Amino acid sequence: MNSNAVPIGPFHPLLEEAEYFELKVDGETVVDIDLEIGWMHRGHEFLSEMKTFTQSIYLVERICGICSTSHPIACVHAIEDIDNIEIPLRARYIRTLVGELERIHSHLLWLGLAGHFIGYDTLWMWAWKYREPILEMFEIISGNRNHYGMMRVGGVAKDVDPGSIPELMKHLDMVDKKMEMIAKAAKDDPVLRSRLKGVGVLSHADAIAYCATGPTSRASGVPGDVRKDEKMDAYDLVDFDRIVLQNGDVYDKLVVRVLEIIESTRICRQCLDKLAQIDGPILNNVKEISAGEGIGRYEAPRGEVFHYVRSDGTNRPIRHKVRAPSYVNIPTYAASCKGIPIADALITLAAVDPCYCCTERALHLYDKNHDPLQLDVLRLSREKTERIRREIYGNK
Amino acid sequence: MGKVEEFVQAMGSKISDQKEKKGRFYFNVTNEDLREVVDYLFNTIGCRLSTATGMETFHHLEILYHFSDDTTGQYYCPRLLIADKEHPKVKSIAPIVTGAIWIEREIFEMLGVEFEDHPRMEKLLTLHHPKDLDKPLRMGRAS
Repeated sequence: MNSNAVPIGPFHPLLEEAEYFELKVDGETVVDIDLEIGWMHRGHEFLSEMKTFTQSIYLVERICGICSTSHPIACVHAIEDIDNIEIPLRARYIRTLVGELERIHSHLLWLGLAGHFIGYDTLWMWAWKYREPILEMFEIISGNRNHYGMMRVGGVAKDVDPGSIPELMKHLDMVDKKMEMIAKAAKDDPVLRSRLKGVGVLSHADAIAYCATGPTSRASGVPGDVRKDEKMDAYDLVDFDRIVLQNGDVYDKLVVRVLEIIESTRICRQCLDKLAQIDGPILNNVKEISAGEGIGRYEAPRGEVFHYVRSDGTNRPIRHKVRAPSYVNIPTYAASCKGIPIADALITLAAVDPCYCCTERALHLYDKNHDPLQLDVLRLSREKTERIRREIYGNK
Repeated sequence: MGKVEEFVQAMGSKISDQKEKKGRFYFNVTNEDLREVVDYLFNTIGCRLSTATGMETFHHLEILYHFSDDTTGQYYCPRLLIADKEHPKVKSIAPIVTGAIWIEREIFEMLGVEFEDHPRMEKLLTLHHPKDLDKPLRMGRAS
């Protein structure tokens, strides 16, 4: 087989995190993909072993800037699992509230990027505009728009001021209305459906084989959702639906995330209602951690975040294993990218939500003589959407 | 009979040193029995491999697999102890669980454990590191 290589990364304006993808293409078709990671390996696991348990929570908060509370929640779950530490009811609701707000802002961030990649810049601007009130809610709750510093072993660091709850509800109301509009647009827009339906399919069997998690696997009919499966924090006390679709394509991944935002606003509303009604402590005084081992996990916006902590009875972990969801979701490219046109590669790579930031995308395509050809994959992706739009609406 | 009891009965003497606590089931397994146990967890119970933790203790290298039964929230954690720290070699579970490919590559580069029958036994995270890092998670561990 005669194929050319299209390298993406490792350092590229599109990539918020440095990663390297090499698409092997035959003409316009992707026939294989090779992945290399580790370009920003920072040794968090080793660093954590030099920190106290409390310091480790702050350390893991810096693993990811977008889902910066998912790692601390999984980390405190792992430490609490060693001694079966119970946390106060009010703290359970606050943890759930912060985790769900993070899911909303992360999914909105992805939705905006996805819109931009396929030439829907209006969707991009809407999604990021409606993400702003969520960041304001974080500021009201924690004082920070990112890296909230809320998690502690045995509870949370800061209480939600009951006086701020009406203001928080107002922000949620606004996001709710707009999300209904975006969900309707995503379901009804014929161009969006034609552009994303059947693109980058991850089959049910491949999702299981690669142990994929989060929206990536739920769009392929695998129902795993840590919030439902493990019933930690206040998830067994609130009412919400598990969103599972069957086709495994980019369209279903988009719809899963949009519907999850709506479910998350439901959860946040129930948490705020409860926080207005109940009172009590937010932190149990945990003086020491026994020798032992614990597993903690949380359903981050991208899927299951996993932490394993082993203690020898001192105030530091002797082993702290961290596994982020992208670590198991990114290898699914090997299954979902094969056989698709180059114009669909960008949105297929983005559909897993591997922390991309969005500026401009310019790749180098090498011809058979290894001479570089300039090829803008973002332009190819947007041109394909425009072609579909013209087929449906004509030249209006 | 619960799923954990069924699993214990099906595996018999292939698992030992069982420790169970709320939603977590830790047990030891030998290199010879590893694939059979993993095959049962992955294909019969339908568990998902969350990850595997490699670490060095005073007497052993240790690999702790974390299999999650997402229908119950139960974790099954087979623990494999490797006495030969100089030339650690174990069977790869990647032929059974595709998702283990990166996980085993990372343990290989961090601890130097070689996985037999792995489709691509090379470094994962530090392949292009400016320094040739040699088993970074084993540094100073024994002392």
